[in-house]
Amino acid sequence: MAKGFMRRFPPLKILTDEQVEAIHRGTLDVLQETGVLVYNEKALSVFKKAGCDVDFETKRVKFPPGLVEECLRKCPSSFRVKARNPKDDLLIGQDNVLFFNFPGTDTVDLDTWEPRPPTKKEHIDLIRVLDALPNVHFLNAYPYFGFSGGIPEVMKEIEGVALRIRNSTKVTIAIANNDIDMFTIRMARAAGSEIFANPNTSSPLTCYTDQVNACFLAAEYDLPSMIWDGATSGGTAPASLAGAVVLSNAELMPYIVLLQLLKPGARVAVANLVLPQNMTNGAPAFGEIGVSLHNVAFNQVWREYGVPTVSSSCGPTSSKRIDFQLGYQKMMPTLLSALSGSSILQLYSSIYGEITAHPIQAILDDDIAGMIGRFLEGLEVSDESLAIDLINEVGPIPGHYLGKKHTRKWWKKEQFVPKAADRLTYPEWVKTGKKSCIDYAKERMEEILSTHKVDPPLTRSQEEEIERILKEAREYYRKKGMITDVEWESYKKIIGG
Amino acid sequence: MNNEILEGLRKAIKEYDNEKAENLAKRAVEEKLDPLRVLDAMTVAIREVGDAFGRGDLWLPDLVGAADAMQAAMPIIEEEIKRTGAKRESLGTVVAGTVFGDIHSIGKTMVCTLLTAEGFKVHDLGVNIKAEEFLQAIRNYNADILAMSALMTMTAPEQKKVIEQLKKEGLRDKIKIMVGGGAITEEFAKEIGADGYDPTAPGAVKLARKLIGR
Ligand code: B12
Repeated sequence: MAKGFMRRFPPLKILTDEQVEAIHRGTLDVLQETGVLVYNEKALSVFKKAGCDVDFETKRVKFPPGLVEECLRKCPSSFRVKARNPKDDLLIGQDNVLFFNFPGTDTVDLDTWEPRPPTKKEHIDLIRVLDALPNVHFLNAYPYFGFSGGIPEVMKEIEGVALRIRNSTKVTIAIANNDIDMFTIRMARAAGSEIFANPNTSSPLTCYTDQVNACFLAAEYDLPSMIWDGATSGGTAPASLAGAVVLSNAELMPYIVLLQLLKPGARVAVANLVLPQNMTNGAPAFGEIGVSLHNVAFNQVWREYGVPTVSSSCGPTSSKRIDFQLGYQKMMPTLLSALSGSSILQLYSSIYGEITAHPIQAILDDDIAGMIGRFLEGLEVSDESLAIDLINEVGPIPGHYLGKKHTRKWWKKEQFVPKAADRLTYPEWVKTGKKSCIDYAKERMEEILSTHKVDPPLTRSQEEEIERILKEAREYYRKKGMITDVEWESYKKIIGG
Repeated sequence: MNNEILEGLRKAIKEYDNEKAENLAKRAVEEKLDPLRVLDAMTVAIREVGDAFGRGDLWLPDLVGAADAMQAAMPIIEEEIKRTGAKRESLGTVVAGTVFGDIHSIGKTMVCTLLTAEGFKVHDLGVNIKAEEFLQAIRNYNADILAMSALMTMTAPEQKKVIEQLKKEGLRDKIKIMVGGGAITEEFAKEIGADGYDPTAPGAVKLARKLIGR
């Protein structure tokens, strides 16, 4: 079992019970009054049979409150997810807190801070670093959207899943665009692992075909699901944060209902990527305080529902560099989400808002995760930790604690020692070349890349099965015209076909 | 009297008041004001809002609010222009949308708002728009410009598909094409044979003007 962090104290609350109830009532009201658009015929029929008000013409579905509440009750409050190696199995819920990474379309140049597509080696390096870091408990989709050099767009994430399975034993996520999860789910299965199905809502109040299909795949393959909501408050959701919680919840519910109708007791977590909108340029305002207010309120409401939450909005920042702004824009929302009861925090490797990611950043994030994790475990108050006898024994100056057995045992329990932070005194710092956290992170990255091995590697027959599925996917998209002849020619060179 | 209505319309737009804008447009028609003068007044107001946004004095919700107020008055004035047979000086007709497979709407909506504010006639088809739908709209509205948005590298090739389809149906040379959205680059735009690209919404407006030579 992947060792997460146990939160050993009650979660932070920001709402009163009446406020939670008001948000809940508001959500049910929107679902009943306005409902959502569902562009998926199969789902429309399922909703109709369950007693929803379905207009097949306009695709509008309105939900009776009783049905929503009944389906919420069917969601397990905690569940396990099976990885290829049992050491990476996941426990989600029960105050266990896990971390994972963010995607980037690009890597960054650490001198100019400009983005550019990663090479295949850089793509694999990031996967290997994430595999090696013990507090990355599972891997997101990507980490990059492919790599430079001739892979057709539609195949990028499918090839990416193959790279992740080959270079990491950690559970990953199957994104739902263009039916690519039809292939990636089978690839994970071939490697003996579960994979998260990944339906995404579309704000406001719309469910698109392939995202809804992900629920059918989850039911068919008996997979856990992570449903994402990424409304921007002020743009695609109300600017008021309470209203944004109502809207995002109303968008998540149709997927909860569908999943529970298809398979009662289905494992599901809800992921919150709601961000305030930057009113100057329309981009999401990554890292700003509204992110935290929304996350904390969201967590509180979903704890009432007994459905584990994922804080997704806490990882990306608005900074383009690894700098002061990036540090506070990551730490603050991630910490507040953790304190308020998130089961999962999406933190690692992102720099600017889902656009750039880098293994150096992942290593720096590992220290943030370690600090937050240490905080969650709280402090022990026992005869031994109160240390009354010891204090009496050491007495006043010239007594001290350095040589005591108690110190040797307890300091390591109580302190978290960051691996990439500068912790030196001035003289030490000057003598060792004035290194910064980024320099230390580079050293740790090089160390990981030169020593880390995936454990266990794929067996020959697993590898063959994955190749077979890749081949099938390539043919499928070629037939569909999503890989053109020109693309196919350069693609063939990479895959050696 | 007449000036009072025009002044009121300008104010309604700058105060984001849809209802007032609509009512004053109706009154302008009743009082038989020259609809082209009314349109002018509204365009001046929206341009002032656009400029203030550009300077950073106003924010996105203000800009969209003002465009909405203008949109509320627009159909009434357009109807009057048609009825009186006056020659409207529209900058041009734009068909816009986010391509098939892609549901990102925010940037595309900004571009449409600013184009409307500038004086273009914009038909925003929405998101997840198939090539056939773009083509149909271009024919229906006799569009001068096609504006396509794509936020994902996976959906960017759709823009190429639309352009190919336009070529096939002999429409390519009748229309200017501009592309944008997070996944698009200058090189990509060239490669697929678009007429222009810009990374920002205000830039999209300048580009549109340049493309139709206004
Ligand atoms: C908000 C958001 C969402 C929201 C969208 C809500 C909505 N109604 O729009 C939600 C949560 C629904 C969403 C869903 C998904 N998203 Co998304 N999303 C984003 C995010 C965070 C911001 C996009 C945005 O709104 N930017 C702000 C606007 C203003 O910018 P813009 O659209 O580019 O527009 C500006 C310019 O480009 C220009 N412009 C725009 N259009 C045009 C047109 C013309 C003609 C011109 C000249 C100019 C122009 O003007 C605008 C203003 O200056 C980006 C990451 C990021 N930081 O950009 C990811 C991102 C775009 N999403 C991404 C992905 C992968 C997805 C999903 C597939 C996720 C999933 N796992 O399923 C789904 C897509 C489903 C689908 N079929 O489309 C990826 C794409 C990666 C890639 N390379 O392909 C990104 C980059 C994030 C990431 N790394 O994962 N997403």
